[in-house]
Amino acid sequence: MESSLELTTSLTGTYPPLRTRIFKIIVIGDSGVGKTCLTYRFCAGKFPDKTEATIGVDFREKVIEIDGEKIKVQLWDTAGQERFRKSMVQHYYRNVHAVVFVYDVTNATSFRSLPAWIEECRQHSLGQEVPRILVGNKCDLRHGLQVGTEVAQKFADSHSMPLFETSAKNPDDNDHVEAIFMTVAHKLKSQKPLMLSQVPGDGGVLPLRKSEDEDEKSWSCGC
Amino acid sequence: MYLKKSKSVGASSPLNGIGKQDWDSRRKRKMGEIAQALSVTPVDVAALRRMAISEGGLLTDEIRCQVWPKLLNMNTDNLPEKPAADLRENHKDYHQVLLDVRRSLRRFPPGMPDDQREGLQEELIDIILHVLDRNPQLHYYQGYHDIVVTFLLVLGERLATVLVEKLSTHHLRDFMDPTMDNTKHILNYLMPIIERVNPEVHDFMQQAEVGTIFALSWLITWFGHVLSDFRHVVRLYDFFLACHPLMPIYFAAVIVLHREEEVLECECDMASVHHLLSQIPQDLPYETLISRAGDLFVQFPPSEMAREAAQQHSQQTAASTFKDFELASAQQKPDSVLRRRRRERAAAQAQAQAQTQAQDMAVARPRARRLVRLAVMGLTVALGAAALAVVNTALEWAPKLDLHLFP
Repeated sequence: MESSLELTTSLTGTYPPLRTRIFKIIVIGDSGVGKTCLTYRFCAGKFPDKTEATIGVDFREKVIEIDGEKIKVQLWDTAGQERFRKSMVQHYYRNVHAVVFVYDVTNATSFRSLPAWIEECRQHSLGQEVPRILVGNKCDLRHGLQVGTEVAQKFADSHSMPLFETSAKNPDDNDHVEAIFMTVAHKLKSQKPLMLSQVPGDGGVLPLRKSEDEDEKSWSCGC
Repeated sequence: MYLKKSKSVGASSPLNGIGKQDWDSRRKRKMGEIAQALSVTPVDVAALRRMAISEGGLLTDEIRCQVWPKLLNMNTDNLPEKPAADLRENHKDYHQVLLDVRRSLRRFPPGMPDDQREGLQEELIDIILHVLDRNPQLHYYQGYHDIVVTFLLVLGERLATVLVEKLSTHHLRDFMDPTMDNTKHILNYLMPIIERVNPEVHDFMQQAEVGTIFALSWLITWFGHVLSDFRHVVRLYDFFLACHPLMPIYFAAVIVLHREEEVLECECDMASVHHLLSQIPQDLPYETLISRAGDLFVQFPPSEMAREAAQQHSQQTAASTFKDFELASAQQKPDSVLRRRRRERAAAQAQAQAQTQAQDMAVARPRARRLVRLAVMGLTVALGAAALAVVNTALEWAPKLDLHLFP
């Protein structure tokens, strides 16, 4: 594992930080919408062979490069069953830099649950400045479509989130899954001030502050 | 590493080739002893518990079919009819159960024909819904299916149904509350146990704020979710069925302690440590670890750990609040400090070790002093004092006794 822990970079300096920055992203949504597949697809580049119920929280990571800077993207893949949320998952909301909400386009219930997931984020005191995106998964199952793009887009707009419809399974969509997480990473990288560098074991990262000239709605994807 | 010192088990373990003949003869003898314990009236349950805990466990699935019910004090003469399938649509957990069972392909033996596996999956759904339907106080959790499938594969549907029902109202009861609060409380035993044995590992994990969720699936599936070799799973089930319901958390602690070197080499942050620990090695020395877990249970029984477990939550909160403040203001690098200390300590230890026989290394470590008592009463008497004490506690335990002491 790459380590540059011995460096003592000032986080508030004007120079780019020398340590690998870490973007911590939490992935939430109903059971069975494909959170594990999406995160696996991004980190391993392929659709997983067999996925099982996630119990508690799984962790995956991938090092990406943006503008020559190496960045570690950490994805926290959480259990969908409600009973795990209350006492178990809250620990993993700490210092989260971005949230990915996932629903299943072939399952209207998973879409109707989204307000509850948004509420959960609010209860974990994630501020508005923490970027959120909405992902409608399983687009390859065209016949079973239950959630249309229009209604999903409307919902996304009303919560100032960009919407992505994708399929973690479709081999042609590899670039797309990658692009979704890269969009989040770009968004996080562009945020100022650069408070994303985490001291490992750090409990004290200050919340991200949105730069003043940036409009929440302006970073939607072009899909 | 402390756990590798256990010559008595290592030399004769069924998991390595050395002493194979020796093991074969002891295996035969053990089968005889189990048959003997089953044949007397009343059945010698204490002896069966010892067999389930001791090396190799209950050896075959055939024996398990006979002994597992006895370990749960069950009479299996009159099994109820096959559970009805008509419960399905009506049950509130039906969809979740269906979802989890349908994607639990990995729990079935590789190479099993699809139609056979699908038949078993249907039975699995029936058993789960049957038990839930008859016990409305029980709530399904993701991972419950990982436990039930083990019983189904070993015992078949009818026997599995009655055993799982009993288990669900006893060993698994806390996991099946409406909330996971009691489960979380049980996880709170983990760090105090680790601290007693190896404070360095404990401190490192606290510093990383890794939490205990990495062990959640271990606990609530009795490791069925994370171990890919079914033989290891049933061996552990022998052990857990024979013991106090908190034994899986002792076993979890033993696994962490077994990996102490890896843990301390890890970067001291939540993600790295969580990632390391949640990836469980598949080649663990199970017999040694089982014996060690039994020792820890005897040495640090739940009654002794209960108070510390109850204090975990408040301590964690207070500690992390303080640390947040400290870090935000000073940008400390706790892990480099820890690493430096560790290097210094390692250097000191190397000196000490040079003067000590290799055999005594574990004892010579200043941090390991608490293990002396363990080492003495440890594995050489694993089938004696320790196992007996474990068995006795298992016979006496009352569900939730510990939990109610410090609500």
